Amino acid sequence: MGGSGSRLSKELLAEYQDLTFLTKQEIVQAHRRFSELLPRDKQNVEDSLRERVSFEDILSIPELKANPFKERICKVFSTAPSRDSLSFEDFLDLLSVFSDTATPDIKSHYAFRIFDFDDDGTLDREDLCRLVNCLTGEGEDTQLSASEMKQLIDNILEESDIDRDGTINLSEFQHVISRSPDFVSSFKIVL
Amino acid sequence: MLHQWSAQSGQTPREPGHLPESEDLWEQEMEWLRASREPLRSLPYAMMDKRLIRKMREPEGMQMTRWQCWQQKQQTMGQRLGEVARRLAWGFGLWKGALYEIGGLFGSGIRSYFTFLRFLLLLNLLTVLLTASFVLVPLAWLHTQGPGPTLNFTALQCPGSHQAQTYIPRFHNQLWNVLTGRAFNNTYLFYGAYWAGPESSSAYSIRLAYLLCPLACLLLCFCGILRRMMKGFLRRPGLGQDYGVPLSAKVFSSWDFCIHLRDAATIKKHEISNEFKVYLEECRRRQQVQQDTPTQRACRLLSYLRVNLLNACLVAGGISAIFWATKYSQDNKEESLFVVLQYLPPGVISLVNFLGPLLFMFLVQLESYPPSIEVNLILIWCVVLKLASLGMFSFSLGQTMLCIGRNKTSCETYGYNACDYQCWENSVGEELYKLIIFNFLLTVAFAFLVTLPRRLLVERFSGRFWTWLGREEFLVPKNVLDIVAGQTVTWMGLFYCPLLPLFQSIFLFLTFYIKKYTLLRNCRTPPRLFRASSSTFFFQLVLLLGLLLAAVPLGFVVSSTHSSWDCGLFTNYSAPWQVVQELVALRLPLSGQRALQYLSSHAFGLPLLWLLSHILTVCIAQSQANARAIHVLRKQLVWQVQEKWRLVEELSRLLQEPGSSESLIPDSPRFRASHPRFSGPGFWSPGSPGPESPARDPSTRTPPWLSSSYPGSRDSPGPRFRFPSGTEL
Repeated sequence: MGGSGSRLSKELLAEYQDLTFLTKQEIVQAHRRFSELLPRDKQNVEDSLRERVSFEDILSIPELKANPFKERICKVFSTAPSRDSLSFEDFLDLLSVFSDTATPDIKSHYAFRIFDFDDDGTLDREDLCRLVNCLTGEGEDTQLSASEMKQLIDNILEESDIDRDGTINLSEFQHVISRSPDFVSSFKIVL
Repeated sequence: MLHQWSAQSGQTPREPGHLPESEDLWEQEMEWLRASREPLRSLPYAMMDKRLIRKMREPEGMQMTRWQCWQQKQQTMGQRLGEVARRLAWGFGLWKGALYEIGGLFGSGIRSYFTFLRFLLLLNLLTVLLTASFVLVPLAWLHTQGPGPTLNFTALQCPGSHQAQTYIPRFHNQLWNVLTGRAFNNTYLFYGAYWAGPESSSAYSIRLAYLLCPLACLLLCFCGILRRMMKGFLRRPGLGQDYGVPLSAKVFSSWDFCIHLRDAATIKKHEISNEFKVYLEECRRRQQVQQDTPTQRACRLLSYLRVNLLNACLVAGGISAIFWATKYSQDNKEESLFVVLQYLPPGVISLVNFLGPLLFMFLVQLESYPPSIEVNLILIWCVVLKLASLGMFSFSLGQTMLCIGRNKTSCETYGYNACDYQCWENSVGEELYKLIIFNFLLTVAFAFLVTLPRRLLVERFSGRFWTWLGREEFLVPKNVLDIVAGQTVTWMGLFYCPLLPLFQSIFLFLTFYIKKYTLLRNCRTPPRLFRASSSTFFFQLVLLLGLLLAAVPLGFVVSSTHSSWDCGLFTNYSAPWQVVQELVALRLPLSGQRALQYLSSHAFGLPLLWLLSHILTVCIAQSQANARAIHVLRKQLVWQVQEKWRLVEELSRLLQEPGSSESLIPDSPRFRASHPRFSGPGFWSPGSPGPESPARDPSTRTPPWLSSSYPGSRDSPGPRFRFPSGTEL
């Protein structure tokens, strides 16, 4: 759909540029992709800014389809009361955090929230166990055995739990992540 | 506003005695947000909250002064310019789509090879730009043309039947002329065609420009490589314990969010699983090793030594083969029948570098090294072999042409082998030119004559041999070493062949597309992926070594060898560096000359050295003190957390005494809920787990706030901090 009906206004673009790390082209592209997920009759500008897209539709975009953390990503960025849908601004927030120019601090902050499967503000043993299972997949030959998992998690906690309370809180996580030069380049999603 | 919010969402229950406390904390938070100057985009909140914070920072009623308006405008403009400059520096977005595709399919490890290619292309183009603007353009402007060769050769006593040639013979075939560089002999590609009149005190000195250009280019490349190397390497100072990346950091950053194909995701999961299993295996092995007896340890050390000695012998054998091949090729240069001799040195170098890694792999795998050490060891030996072969090649060239390391009568009169080489710089340039062309032709040949047929045959036939053979693996280290070797040769040739970076740029440009085609069509991913970060550091390190290897002969040639008497810019000087001294005497005022003399004397060098070592000592002492402080602080942190829980238990014990009817015991969810703890700006974290002492195994507890009586857990597992927005109130 061409024409001014599907274009964002200049002020809105400038505001989004101010509030996110995205460039103008990236915001326009994001808007286009988001509108494609909405039903046909709601693809104009006003509705697209108001409507929410359910998780099934968001998870069908190719950039997220193969990601083992896709449900967690959507849940973390969703601002709906029942946390089961994303608005356009949530989508922009998502892309902003995963963009090229986002600071490592904000990336590690959101990475922590994504890995915190039970949303209790710390990474405890269950969170780490689920994290490792997501990373290694569901296959028989790739899953770690119980003893291997325990040994791995023991090692992780040994290294990163500085205050020895059995969990990793946000500042410990950010401290550990800062030792990994890989993190910033791999924590990226580009449309 | 805060009171209404807490009542609205029902997350903090109405405990009159405790609300003011939580309100205090919220207010502190809001105050901090209002006062901080951090840009909105880097705050970890949702968009509507960021709008609220912005409104808080600049309430509508306030009139911004003109100065503030202008300041803000300048700031945004500066930000935009910075973004544009950063995008330019990243290569004008060259090949962005292709890199994105490769990253999505194969992960960021293999993509790092292609970004490395782009980086080298930019370096070469920068070099060409510098050379063109400082040497070629002035030369073309001044339109100087030198006289032909004038040297009288009858004064020389040339041994044997070698007659000094007054012309360079050409091959009959035009293609051979191009491939060996003889077609370009009198063009600006090679050193010999440059000519300039005697130095004067006012004209532009082509000699100085020609001399300083390679040095400046090498320095720029050095700075660029160093900067790129250090950029991602150590973001913040480590804990001082070890320099490796800890396991937890690896685990948290192991998923590559760029992958968007299901097959690639499956492969990545396999890899990650392998990596974890290998790591656990190594831990177990390390524990086993620590329990070895001294004799077992000695045996193991001896076997490691044996393998490394064997590898060293292989390297020595390889480079002596290169030495003899170069000598043979140079001694039989002019026999027009054996044109293949022209390409003998590059051929032998490539053969040695092809067989070497295979033999290294075979020998290293005979011992039982842990897998990571095995890979690193093979890699180190490959790098050593590659750089040593290039070093030996340049040394043997130096020996034949400049009689380095041996005494020969033909070198005595002019300082170089004038009998065989009328213009030795041109010969060196030709050799390096042939090496670059050969490398590129080999890349093309391998891509189209080996990898492509292999893929076609494997797809066609299904015998056991073909399934075992499979498609070729795209080995990142091997490919990186190849282009680093090519770049080292380019840098070596900067003085003899100033336009060699132009050829290298064209070859790199074509190599990108060839390798991309090979990767996407004919290759499969290796089972062991290279991590993007360690690869970046490794590539830059090897490139740096190559640069240093290229800089050493250049420094030697510039400062102590006699240039040809017959061709080029430095015909009347005993060494090219003499030009600088002559120009300094001609053009600088006397005070300037004295200052320069002082700077290059011992009286300046020794105090500078003393000062630098003093600074170094202070830095080392400071870092040691910091490590000690970190150690003490860690212990203090652990002690404080233990102390905190001990006090909580003490409090609960006191409160449980008869007479207190309030159920404010630590197990009550309401107690937990009314004392929220923050672990960062705006991030609601109910805090560390339960009131049990940390010595007990925390995995068996059930957090009380996740039980159904906790108000926040009714619909979603945890509360999400949000500022109240207009739509909700």
